[in-house]
Amino acid sequence: MLDAAEKAYCLALQALKRREYRRADKLFDQAAGFFADNREFRLVRETTRLLVAVKEELGSFESDESNERTELEEVLTYGEKDELR
Amino acid sequence: MSRTDTLKALEIVLESFLDRAVSLKEDRLKVLDGINRLDDIALGFSDGADLTDEIGGWFAEHNRWLSEPVLRTGDQRRIGEILDSIRTGLETKQEPSPAQEKIGREIERWEESRKGKKLILKRGAEETPVVESDTITLFSNELTRLSGLFTDLSANQKHLLSVLDDALKSAVLQKNREALLLSGFIIYYLKQNRYMVEPYVRRLKEAEQLQQGESHHA
Repeated sequence: MLDAAEKAYCLALQALKRREYRRADKLFDQAAGFFADNREFRLVRETTRLLVAVKEELGSFESDESNERTELEEVLTYGEKDELR
Repeated sequence: MSRTDTLKALEIVLESFLDRAVSLKEDRLKVLDGINRLDDIALGFSDGADLTDEIGGWFAEHNRWLSEPVLRTGDQRRIGEILDSIRTGLETKQEPSPAQEKIGREIERWEESRKGKKLILKRGAEETPVVESDTITLFSNELTRLSGLFTDLSANQKHLLSVLDDALKSAVLQKNREALLLSGFIIYYLKQNRYMVEPYVRRLKEAEQLQQGESHHA
């Protein structure tokens, strides 16, 4: 039978193929113990981790911009209500 | 270029690298997926499930592995072990169904074909290398070379900083352009992980100037 880590590595590569990077990252974590000395594994895993970090950073920028817009809208709404009063 | 633009550029580079890395392992991935599926079927058998149709489908899909040189010795051994466990499961049944008997015969046929297979070495015709001029292919090739260089430089190293140090030395002493590119990649990665990279950035700029000077004088 295949080792669980080997299955995880296989599933991680499939996830990468589908561009499911977060899932691939978690699966690489599960496989890490078995493939600790495999340079190719380490390179692909680190690249995936970096990409996930970059995507998270970009996602946080978008949510920050969204928050700024929300605050701006709230200020305008508040001003309009003041005028109505 | 804003920070967001820089990150998006890096995102594209990394995605491209991973696409290429997976693409290079496409054939291997199919083999691993096939073994993985067979292993899942064997696990189902050992749990008492009737997966006769699934194993039949697996044979239909993977029979060509017997005639094509896609399996490594380790793969063949593993498939043999998994098929053995399935056959053992089938043999414990007192009254196997016709479908299960057929699976048993398929397993035997697989084993016989594998054992009787001869090793044939083939060499393709000599070809003149095709000049690759499109940027996607060129960049993809560059990523492959960078991956190979990283593999070489990281051998027996304990930390990425040591790899970076070697890459920068290679960029300066050997005027290695790949080493320069790899250094930039590693520096940005370390920067994202809040390492102090200023000394390395200085060395990168010096190496870059040195290489540009060389190319101007060439």
